Amino acid sequence: MTGKAWALVCAGALVAGLAGCSSSDGGSSDGKVTLTYAYWDKENQGAAMEKIAREFTRTHPNIEVKLQFTPNKEYWTKLQTAAAGGTAPDVFWMNGPRIGLYASQGALLPLSDRIARDKVDMTKFPKSLVDLYTLDGKQYGIPKDFDTIGLWYNKKLFDAAKVDYPDENWTWDDVRAAAKKLTDPAKGVYGIGAMAWPQELYYNTIFQAGGYVVSDDKKKSGFDDPATIEGLKFWKDLLDQKLSPTVQQMTDNDPIEMFKSGRLAMWYDGSYDAPQYFRTEGLDADVAPLPAGPKGRATVIHGLANVIYAKTRHPQEAWEFVKFLAGEQANRIQAETGAVIPAYEGLQETWVKSMPKFNLKAFIDQLPYARPYPVSKNTAAWSRPELDAMTKAFTEGQDVEAVAREFAATMNAALAQEK
Amino acid sequence: MRSGRLWPVHLVLAVGAAAMVMPFFWQVLTALKSFTEATRMPPVWIPSFEWSNFAEVFEAGPFLRQFGNTVVMTAGRTLAQLLFCSLAAYAFARLRFPGRNVIFIALLSVLMVPGQLFLIPQYQIVQSLGWLNTLPGLIVPGMFSAFGTFMMRQFFMTLPAEVEEAARLDGANPLRIFWSVMLPLARPGLLALGVLTVLWSWNDLMWPLIVNTDPEQMPLSAGLSALQGEHMTDYPVLMAGSLMASAPIIVVFVIMQKQLIQGIAFTGSK
Repeated sequence: MTGKAWALVCAGALVAGLAGCSSSDGGSSDGKVTLTYAYWDKENQGAAMEKIAREFTRTHPNIEVKLQFTPNKEYWTKLQTAAAGGTAPDVFWMNGPRIGLYASQGALLPLSDRIARDKVDMTKFPKSLVDLYTLDGKQYGIPKDFDTIGLWYNKKLFDAAKVDYPDENWTWDDVRAAAKKLTDPAKGVYGIGAMAWPQELYYNTIFQAGGYVVSDDKKKSGFDDPATIEGLKFWKDLLDQKLSPTVQQMTDNDPIEMFKSGRLAMWYDGSYDAPQYFRTEGLDADVAPLPAGPKGRATVIHGLANVIYAKTRHPQEAWEFVKFLAGEQANRIQAETGAVIPAYEGLQETWVKSMPKFNLKAFIDQLPYARPYPVSKNTAAWSRPELDAMTKAFTEGQDVEAVAREFAATMNAALAQEK
Repeated sequence: MRSGRLWPVHLVLAVGAAAMVMPFFWQVLTALKSFTEATRMPPVWIPSFEWSNFAEVFEAGPFLRQFGNTVVMTAGRTLAQLLFCSLAAYAFARLRFPGRNVIFIALLSVLMVPGQLFLIPQYQIVQSLGWLNTLPGLIVPGMFSAFGTFMMRQFFMTLPAEVEEAARLDGANPLRIFWSVMLPLARPGLLALGVLTVLWSWNDLMWPLIVNTDPEQMPLSAGLSALQGEHMTDYPVLMAGSLMASAPIIVVFVIMQKQLIQGIAFTGSK
């Protein structure tokens, strides 16, 4: 199915959802209420979610929380379908690229009044994340966790090539110089993986070069901006100099696996992949803050939020649960599992200690200059075409600048259709 | 000598067969490894026989219950498709009625529409019937298919008209002809449709995930997907689970493969 047709279905689903009938059942005569809480990562976060739900029922005996798991790939399809039928879960996980669409279609309950009434302290959460879930001045979600990007490196390969480990003083030039020394075609080792991935790779360098992805008023694409193009060229140059496997090679072999097996010496990746690097035997790796670009430091921050379905039959109980999720206790439970960095201030330390062999502090130290994951109201309308265009731009023989400018026009057209 | 001439062919086939079997072989190996063995580079060939992976599958969800759901769902869908698709197909192939070709083309056009477009209307119908989170919600929407009708029609078209005429001269009505004459002749086609439906139904993931949210009402395909994390997956346990889930279906295919290939070759589809 093409991206366009898909977007059409999604939009239709949400609109239909507004006209739909009743919300999910859950009330019963004895005053007990059952809430459904939908999420998509059972393998890594299921245990924490179950514990949080149990703790909540302990303090709120009349509300029971039923977890509803759907794998990430099918999660959004299911949510859209259920919203169209008016039976979406009461509380569910939300991400940055989707918040605009769901909030603007009226599928989510605005929380601002309740936050003000119950004096929920939003300064406890990273501001860029709070902003990510604010639309037209209204708060639609409360941050659950966050992630930033760091420079992962393979210590064994650095030692073998006698290159100093990356530190917080590194710049783009250091990456280039190190990549040259670390690349060893005879052994199939590359200095770095320059994959066409936005969040982990090129959004970071775009910001470090002083560029932007989408303008603050969400009306204009940044892909024809010279600084943005410079941020893309950083990767393209590494590819052209054969210091990275080709995009084709990394499509066939997941670069994450290549890093784990010692074929990439450096690799830009998120804090969320720390647990799998931690569990990979034979991988002697560590992580450093992202090197600075021509216009200084930047890393992409993204995080999930808990949101309430607009047509829930139990808005008050759902709010009580979301408030609990936003509290210190629930965040501490999350931190202890090590799966994600909890959004609540002061609990990051617990997460940092969960995998002591990595310098996980690097992810937290980057917070002051972290930049929110770029979104607009209907991010899905341009994010897929963007990925296709950038994959093409990073392919051998392509002119990054021409492809980026061409894509900027496509993206501008998509943005013009947002209201 | 005969075998002497054939050995190059056999060699090519053996290489092909090895390539086909390799993923299954690797699945079995992975199911018996520990997590670190499964992710180690270079790959480990001799597993440490972690039978506990299989036990973990049973802890992750109501495996037997979901297995039962899958069997009921697959059996329900398959039997219904065999009946309804062949009935419709026979009408399209042999009966004459006004608008036959127009209706048939309309039916064929359904094949051109991507399945995702049906999701929402189908969900709303099932919801209105009060079938969310139930087995009928899984089974009923899969009881008929345009593809099955098309396939069976092509099959009926290849059967000689004389047999049917003889039956008609003997005074049999259309339903009788269908049941006693045509259907027995269409056995290879029915088998092929049956096997295809079993395979499709056994693996069906999207629809079960959308209609049923309660693990007790999910088929295996949906239940096993819980073993896959967003950023990390315990591959040995996932492989152990999918091994147990796919074993019966592999057995079905091995027993039926001759008929399956015959049936498909007959109708010239796919």
